[in-house]
Amino acid sequence: MENKPLSREIETYHKHKAELLKDNTGKYVLIKGEEIINIFDTQNDAIRVGIDKFGNMPFLVKKIEEVDSKQNFTSNLIRAKQHAVSNY
Amino acid sequence: MPSVTINSPNLQVDGPLVEVHFLISLELEKKYNEQKKEIPPPVIVKALIDTGASACVVQKEIPEQLKLEPIGVLKINTPSSKDHECYQYFMRMIIPSHGLTYEGPFIGAPLEGQDVCCLIGRDVLQSGILIYIGYNNQFTLSLL
Repeated sequence: MENKPLSREIETYHKHKAELLKDNTGKYVLIKGEEIINIFDTQNDAIRVGIDKFGNMPFLVKKIEEVDSKQNFTSNLIRAKQHAVSNY
Repeated sequence: MPSVTINSPNLQVDGPLVEVHFLISLELEKKYNEQKKEIPPPVIVKALIDTGASACVVQKEIPEQLKLEPIGVLKINTPSSKDHECYQYFMRMIIPSHGLTYEGPFIGAPLEGQDVCCLIGRDVLQSGILIYIGYNNQFTLSLL
């Protein structure tokens, strides 16, 4: 994901993941570039603060968890085989 | 609790389809107004209420049309694929005629088949009621 939107933020998350997990598992972190802005109880709160601070700029809101949870779809309407962030 | 009831010509074949409008979030709209920036017009599409979807998905052209930047990345699993990374976008989905509004994150992905451009998943249904009356070709969606 080099040079793709949010690649720096994802790198920042992984760099700080261990310390974030210590006290904030299950919460949401707001990251812009290499900076951790804050931790929030809900995803929407984190996103709203992100919009307030950065407007329509890419920023990362991520759930702090040991293993990333995934979203599941039982129908085949999504052409996921041809699609991934790495293909953007 | 606002709700919409739709009578479908063939609910079993078409599925619970509803026309929705996508807009930028209220927070972003407020920012744009302060900056006197033009607000993108709503994108009007057909959405399928999909209880097999754990979260909402939109055709990735929708956030592009609204000129939105991503606010997250996550992995999705489908019957034919595993761990595909997709961007998330924060948008407002409304059914204006019935006063239904949902604002939250949507996963941007390519959707194929029919003319469905959005899957309304269980994250929306979490704050609502879905009544599916198959024998009457009718369904009702209510949202808090």
